[in-house]
Amino acid sequence: MEIPYIVKARKDTGLTNSKIAIWLFLASEVMLFGGFFSAYVFMRIGADYPWPERTLPVLPGLINTFILIASSVTVVFAWAALKLRKWRQFQIFMGATVLCAAIFMCLKAVEYNVKFHHQAVRLNDYSIIEGHLDYKKDKDKNYIKKDGKKIEYNLINIKAESVIFSTVRFHKPWVEQILEQAEEQGSKMVLTEPYQGADGRADAKTTYVEAGTELSLDLLLKIREQHLKARAHNQKLRADALRCAWQIAKDANPGKRGWEISDQVGVDAEKLKPDMLTEMGAISFKIDSAAKLSFKPKNIKEADGQSRLRDDTVIKGKLLESPMKFHHVDAIDFQYLAMKAVQKGIDPMVAIENSWIIQNADFAKEAWEWHCEEVEKLEKELAKQDREPTLKDRYRIGWKEFSKKAEQEGMTDMGDWTILEEFKGPNYAARGEETFPHLAVPRGEIAFASKFVPQWNTYYAIYFTITGLHGLHVIGGALVLGYYLFFGRRMYETNPEWLANRVEVGGLFWHFVDLIWIFAFPIFYLM
Amino acid sequence: MADSPEAIRKSIRKYLIVGGILFLGTVLTVLVATVPALDIGRHGFDVYDCVLGLAIASTKAGFVAVVFMHLNDEKKAIYWIFGGALVFGAFLYLLTAWAKSDLIHDPLFYGDSKPNIKLGH
Amino acid sequence: MSADAHSHDDHHHDPPFWKKYIFSTDHKMIGLQYGITAMLFLAFGFYLMMVMRWSIAYPHQPLPEWMSFFLTDDWKARWLSDGKLTGETYNMFGAMHGTIMVFLGIVPLGFGAFGNYVTPLQIGAPDMAFPRLNMASYWIYLIGGLIMCASFFMESGAAKSGWTNYSPLAGFADGQIVNQWLAGQTQWLIGLVCLITSSLLGSVNFITTIINLRARGMTWMRMPFFVWSMLVTGFLLLLAFPPLEAAGIMQLMDRVAHSSFFMPTGLFTSQTGLAELSGGGSPLLFQHLFWFLGHPEVYVLLLPAFACVSDVIPVNSRKPLWGYKGMVYMVLVLGFLSFIVWAHHMYMTGMGPVISTFFQTTTVLISVPSVVIITSLLISLWGGSIKFTPPMMWACAFIPMFGIGGLTGLPLAFNLADLHLHDTYYVIGHFHYVVAPGILFGLFAGVLHWYPKITGRYMSSWLNQLHFWPSLICMNVIFAPMLLQGMAGFHRRWYNGGDGYLDKIAGKAGEESANIFANTVAQHIDLNILMSMGAWTLALAQIPFVINLFISWKTGKKVESDNPWNATTLEWATPTPPGHGNFTTEPVVYRGPYEYSRADHDEDYLPQWVEPKNKTAASVSQDKAEPAALEDKSDA
Repeated sequence: MEIPYIVKARKDTGLTNSKIAIWLFLASEVMLFGGFFSAYVFMRIGADYPWPERTLPVLPGLINTFILIASSVTVVFAWAALKLRKWRQFQIFMGATVLCAAIFMCLKAVEYNVKFHHQAVRLNDYSIIEGHLDYKKDKDKNYIKKDGKKIEYNLINIKAESVIFSTVRFHKPWVEQILEQAEEQGSKMVLTEPYQGADGRADAKTTYVEAGTELSLDLLLKIREQHLKARAHNQKLRADALRCAWQIAKDANPGKRGWEISDQVGVDAEKLKPDMLTEMGAISFKIDSAAKLSFKPKNIKEADGQSRLRDDTVIKGKLLESPMKFHHVDAIDFQYLAMKAVQKGIDPMVAIENSWIIQNADFAKEAWEWHCEEVEKLEKELAKQDREPTLKDRYRIGWKEFSKKAEQEGMTDMGDWTILEEFKGPNYAARGEETFPHLAVPRGEIAFASKFVPQWNTYYAIYFTITGLHGLHVIGGALVLGYYLFFGRRMYETNPEWLANRVEVGGLFWHFVDLIWIFAFPIFYLM
Repeated sequence: MADSPEAIRKSIRKYLIVGGILFLGTVLTVLVATVPALDIGRHGFDVYDCVLGLAIASTKAGFVAVVFMHLNDEKKAIYWIFGGALVFGAFLYLLTAWAKSDLIHDPLFYGDSKPNIKLGH
Repeated sequence: MSADAHSHDDHHHDPPFWKKYIFSTDHKMIGLQYGITAMLFLAFGFYLMMVMRWSIAYPHQPLPEWMSFFLTDDWKARWLSDGKLTGETYNMFGAMHGTIMVFLGIVPLGFGAFGNYVTPLQIGAPDMAFPRLNMASYWIYLIGGLIMCASFFMESGAAKSGWTNYSPLAGFADGQIVNQWLAGQTQWLIGLVCLITSSLLGSVNFITTIINLRARGMTWMRMPFFVWSMLVTGFLLLLAFPPLEAAGIMQLMDRVAHSSFFMPTGLFTSQTGLAELSGGGSPLLFQHLFWFLGHPEVYVLLLPAFACVSDVIPVNSRKPLWGYKGMVYMVLVLGFLSFIVWAHHMYMTGMGPVISTFFQTTTVLISVPSVVIITSLLISLWGGSIKFTPPMMWACAFIPMFGIGGLTGLPLAFNLADLHLHDTYYVIGHFHYVVAPGILFGLFAGVLHWYPKITGRYMSSWLNQLHFWPSLICMNVIFAPMLLQGMAGFHRRWYNGGDGYLDKIAGKAGEESANIFANTVAQHIDLNILMSMGAWTLALAQIPFVINLFISWKTGKKVESDNPWNATTLEWATPTPPGHGNFTTEPVVYRGPYEYSRADHDEDYLPQWVEPKNKTAASVSQDKAEPAALEDKSDA
């Protein structure tokens, strides 16, 4: 059996199968990206915070646009070369296309990576601080976890006296972390009360675990097993008893409807008690000498006295100071604060003067005063054209402003570094902490903190989603085109027209990927 | 679509020109967005910049679709399929936009991050 | 097996078992795989519903043993309380019932199974345009379905936020799970993305096949209505699913990357207090994107049933389909309109009056093509010599049942009436009338109609009677009371069937309560038991069908010819069962699909493929076969 119209077009439609299919696929892609771009518009219109305008470095985006355009030209050349039966030319142009894809993805990776390591924090007064976090250090050495990641100074610290684990839900890696931390400080965690219970024989009691047993994962697993057994056993007993009770009640009240007698029917707990096994949903461990335990903020709901991890582990103990330590502050943003102030009828300048960072950090006060002068200059400049500074001009001190200020004060001259900074952000090592100072933000001041990832705001969410999905399309397209490049020779020799068709279809997809980027570039980088 | 070798040779020039137009269009968008002297409308980003930017992008997209994707000379079925997607995509966007703009309450009513809920007694 | 020894020199040799039955690229085998898998999922979805109906009818009583004996004690201890269904578990079952029935059951059965098996046969194609893509689309569907269902056995349980999965609820549900990739709610999204991918591959394949692989002489207006329906269904899937895929991906981001696409600012939940999110997102956007799919999806469910019935009725009334052209145009209009009615699901979201009126208008408009199609089917019966064969019984029941379902939808189309009926059992009654006795009956007709082609044997007629009559009665016993309850104000998500709203003290004393709604609930609550009994009996009524399906495969009455129903469409020109490549000779089509009882012909049917007596090639072009299609042969 052979499927017709793979190589030759059907006469009445004038199309090969794959040509129809790719256009159908592109039609669905139009709808997919239509959904995403619509989402972009609605996110932007509906944003209740100042949308980050023109916030990404343009240069990498611009280069990527050039690369994609170039690849679009080369892919159509590659197709033309195949049509003219010039294999060598085809190889060159297709090779160039795949190379373009690789460069595009590399640049994308650099861009993403910079954002993944850039911290932002929104304070309760809606001012926003950006920068890099310091790492936890031990004798001037970075503290590194088992998985090789450095631990950032953004932890919730608790002077823990006891820890209560949920028998069913405890998360193994977290238990290990707690154990490790306690061990490091020489503390022991021991079972507070014996785990003791009925074992199903009337009046018999068994002690499963003695009080004072040290915490270990095995111990928790053992208790979990026992608890689950008891839970299943007890539930079965209760269900059977209830079923029985209903049978009796129904026989006793013929003709009555279920809900009329439901309050008379129930499980006689006393009668069942001898057969029940002891369940233990939570189990408590004492820490002999209170130890300092640290947790990532996203895993814990902290409170003084009693904090709770996401796996229902309860940590009892005093909440210690848990500041977020910035190694380098590279931007202070008052746009959101100003917006909120205006909504509440407060003068934004007054609100900024009273903000936590201006009040508590000298460098910020100094930078703000310098910035105000700069804005004044800009205002005069723009007034000539009957224009005025934007919200961003007025209320944001970005890393370029910090650098400019430092350079005005004659601190650094970066020279050749500046181009690279357009890609990777400021060179902190070279510019030093005079330009990008240190700061510790107390936990209580923090309303919301995140890296520059989808979590930070809807702008970054849609940015990462669209460009990420676009990146996946680039990879997919490059794989297909690369396949024709490296494994197409055989087909070229037997059926060159077929290969040309396939390259055309792959090319159509490739152009579509370019087409998406043509819109993605201005809306994310320039608007 | 031009399938004969002569026609393809001829169109190569066309592809180069379009490539050039795309480059220039990109440069133009960036210039308009970054050089203060070329900034139209108010200082900084505003609706004029938006319209201009999207107009340039649409022109570029049009060139890609028409020349690189051969939509200048395609079969009827393809126009129906792709046109259909564009129409329904427009429905998706426009009707949603309409629905979101025609509301019986103020969408910012719930905008404050401190919920107006009293807990406990 | 000597397959290995001979395979290289004998290419007609049967492929090995796994290639023939499991990783098959034959559209017929894939169709059967779709069909069997979908029926298993339907059975599972039905089971979930039976459990839910227990909780609605007897909220205070433990699940009976026959319903829960195969669940482990451990699972029961986690999800039941003293053997009774909890609200949480009910939500889980409800969400998964909807999801399974719509995405894993009916769509794969209608579009995947019937579309795959019948479409290439009816247009005279050797297979689908992309056989391997076809296989991929089945496997991705299966993986997606299994991922969704696997979450029943995970710590979080399966998704609990309704089959519509509205944000922000679906955004933070299962938030306590440490690894969000292992939360049921996330698994639901991953499964959904798989299903959408599968549907997209499928629809690309279908449309390409229909456009490009039609046999010689199979012009557009000679295609059976079945193929037209599949074409429109394909386009609906192709264009409506991607926006939901976008929404699904964004919700996935909300869950695993903690973004705020659909999470509003200041979200406050009883579990976690003020959500630690950036906020600024739009929950309504999710609803728009969801229903942009959701409404066309209704027609994705419906059109395959229309398709089956439109094939069964002409065959069994020995009459051409009445108004074939009109039906074709109407199905195209239906497809178009279905894209612009979606927000009638959202009248209660604070949409303004102008946009409401727009969607109200388009919604009422879309009933016109549906009514035209259903009326055409009805008129096709008029004056025919009707044979009540097993498939015909289902097809005839389909028309009034779908009619009830469709007409009860009209009040929901109107904003004002919808304000009262929104989210009540009326809505449930309405769309279940459409889907269960409507669509499902249509698909049963299809199963019985094509079974002889698939197996070479008829299904048993008396087992079918045993299946049909109880099913018809039970369906009405289940769904008609829902309409009553709904108008009385019963909410669709009560896990205890309204028990919580009763005034038990007054009720017991035999008095009216001062609480008026409690009285209303008391008046209608006993219907719950009736409906639940109906549902469980319906389950029993499916047993004859299952027996019939398997027994007839081996012992059914053998077909007398390759065309046992004396039908006219191309699938009956194939050998029984059709081999790989379908047709033994290249089929050529000479006329329209429904040439029954022609005055100028001796038999009461004139198949599409029979050469006209008065000369061959001339009449092909007379009947407007594309001359191009004829030229093709010389190329090959």
